[in-house]
Amino acid sequence: MTGGATGSGTGGRLRRWRQGALRLTSLRFRLVTVFALVALIAAVSVSGIAYWLTRDAVLTRSQNAALNDFSTSLEQRASSLPDQPPCHTLRSTAGELASTSQGYQVVLVMEMSDGSVCVAQSDPRTFTLEMVPDALTEAVHTRRTAPADAEAAPFHLYWQRISMGGEPYLVGGAQVMGGGPTGYMLATLGPEQDDLDSLAWSLGIATALALLGSVVLAQTAATTVLRPVQRLNSAARRLGDGELSTRLEERGADELAELTRTFNRTAAALEERVADLRAREAASRRFVADMSHELRTPMTAITAVTDVLEDEVDSLDPMIAPAVQLVVSETRRLNVLVENLMEVTRFDAGTARMVLDDVNIVDQITACLDDRAWLDAVQVSGERDVVARLDPRRLDVVLANLIGNALKHGGSPVRVTVFEDRAEGRDDVVIAVADNGPGIPAEVLPHVFDRFYKASASRPRSEGSGLGLSIALENAHLHGGEITAHNAPEGGAVFTLRLPRQAAARTGEHAPERQAGTERDSRAGDPGGPDSPDSPDASEDAGAAHARGDRPADPADTAPAGGKGER
Amino acid sequence: MTGVAFLLLIEDDDAVRTGLEMGLTRQGHRVITAPSGEEGLRLLREQRPDLIVLDVGLPGIDGFEVCRRIRRTDQLPIILLTARSDDIDVVVGLESGADDYVVKPVQIRVLDARVRAVMRRGERETSDSAAFGAIVIDRAAMTVTKNGQELKLTPTELRLLLELSRRPGQALSRQQLLRLVWEHDYLGDSRLVDACVQRLRAKVEDVPSSPKLIRTVRGVGYRLDAPQ
Repeated sequence: MTGGATGSGTGGRLRRWRQGALRLTSLRFRLVTVFALVALIAAVSVSGIAYWLTRDAVLTRSQNAALNDFSTSLEQRASSLPDQPPCHTLRSTAGELASTSQGYQVVLVMEMSDGSVCVAQSDPRTFTLEMVPDALTEAVHTRRTAPADAEAAPFHLYWQRISMGGEPYLVGGAQVMGGGPTGYMLATLGPEQDDLDSLAWSLGIATALALLGSVVLAQTAATTVLRPVQRLNSAARRLGDGELSTRLEERGADELAELTRTFNRTAAALEERVADLRAREAASRRFVADMSHELRTPMTAITAVTDVLEDEVDSLDPMIAPAVQLVVSETRRLNVLVENLMEVTRFDAGTARMVLDDVNIVDQITACLDDRAWLDAVQVSGERDVVARLDPRRLDVVLANLIGNALKHGGSPVRVTVFEDRAEGRDDVVIAVADNGPGIPAEVLPHVFDRFYKASASRPRSEGSGLGLSIALENAHLHGGEITAHNAPEGGAVFTLRLPRQAAARTGEHAPERQAGTERDSRAGDPGGPDSPDSPDASEDAGAAHARGDRPADPADTAPAGGKGER
Repeated sequence: MTGVAFLLLIEDDDAVRTGLEMGLTRQGHRVITAPSGEEGLRLLREQRPDLIVLDVGLPGIDGFEVCRRIRRTDQLPIILLTARSDDIDVVVGLESGADDYVVKPVQIRVLDARVRAVMRRGERETSDSAAFGAIVIDRAAMTVTKNGQELKLTPTELRLLLELSRRPGQALSRQQLLRLVWEHDYLGDSRLVDACVQRLRAKVEDVPSSPKLIRTVRGVGYRLDAPQ
């Protein structure tokens, strides 16, 4: 993922996992949602229509039965009533009307001759005149004007559905023509309501089942689609991690199979390209390595002869002597360059090996300075007895480059400070090299470790190879350390070398083998710690030497080169 | 002049051979040269030089083989001249019996210093002798005998044994031994010590794989013990 992943492994993994889960569920989630929605709409509309049609049919049938019965009965009774029936007759008539099989209650209302109104109720507990809606009463009293209608239906029967106490009821009313009583009926629709309720329940359950089925179906569909997607995803991740030989099995002819084919083609193309690039890179590295190697033989002959020439400079013709001197000094420089080039190719090829030893840092610095006659120009301060496990020869190269560079560009005195840094769980040895020079220009600072970087094109070429600081940095990296450069507030450049106290963990050192490859030669003085080597079990038997011989290690041999610092 | 040697330079490249011959001659050494291993072995028999400077990458029989063949009969010092600094070259060369090595391109001063250091190893100093079990070191005659029989040691092996025998029971680090025997500086190659110890053990120990005389001291170096 992004940079954060390197910072905290756990957080990064969690985020990656969450992101992956989110991405995965979102597609699954969308599929399920769409499936469920479609199923819901279909089920609800089908159930809704079915319910509505059924309800209409059921209600109309029972309603019509009740109303027809009521109207027929009312017609019969009304016609059999006397012209001005007394109120009690009406009451008995209402009772008779209510006693039919339809089970409705009846209220008869009639205006008596004396002006009073007689209200006859079949069952005053369940049905009173007050329960009849006003709208119905009004409709019943409205006279029909059309003569055709009046002829066809002498009784104008009106009805309305009402709800009382949560129960549905049918209320009907009609006036008997020609001054007869007005009759009202109340029939319960409870049984019909119950039937419809159970129907609604069934439909609801069916809808829920359809919904559930659609979700299961969607899940299955999503899984079938997502499994190949997941496979592709993990394959793509492996590809990204550098497993360029990753391929997927091509199955079927659907879009996902097409995607798989595309992936495989892409991976193959990528692999081919990377292999091509690697081959070219290896070839160019090999070329540089071979070239530096080939240069060594003539360099050996020239170096041998220049030593002879140098001895004779004093006795040479004054016109010739400077030329000879030039040849000698340039040959030395060429030597350094070839050595450094070989060292760089070893770093590039990853064949640089470390030979670790317990080293007293201050002692090593002193030896390094003494070896190069820099003791007068450099002040060493800091903690004594700082011991680290590292490659002494590589540390010498780094120190020689940093201090030599400081001497050349900053001028003496160069201050070297050694201290230990145990903050924040680190266990580092820090060596700071500070000079008194003008510091490093801001535009040069990011490039000080670049190979062959010259501060400015107009600047005269220094005697360095242009590789010294780069090699120093590579050596620090090999130890798992770092070199940083900055300008001190009080002026002057400061190069800070930070090395872990134990470099072994990172390099996979062959612990019992202490091999210090060097071609450095009998220089005087050795303040180096006499208590170095760990002793190999291997050296106990003669066969051990063979085991060592098999190791394709490389004693990075920059020793003479490392002496010259450069920037 | 101390350390001046009569040396044989075996090197196939004409320019390198000429250059090194010129340089070494100027340092005061007497130099004879051979362009191949076969020629070198012939010159060794005929001229009996004090020391051999041997290139590793020779046509025909290579430097390692030349080294091994010389060691079968002679114990004179051999300095390897290797173009490759690969560990394998150095290790194989030291196993073959070389006393020291330099890596091309080498400065004459450096090679000269090595030559002189090697030559100094054969110089006798005090005139006493010491016995460690079956091993008797006669410092006057510069000979080592085991059960009365004289051992053929190279000057480097002899010097290593002398330095260890001068401090019996005391562990010497590889860096100390590099200074004392090889006269190397603070970045000397400790493989020189290890290889030389192996060769010395092969000659002086009864069972070289379980040494009783030259013991390894873990974390320090080597120590000479008088067997009980």
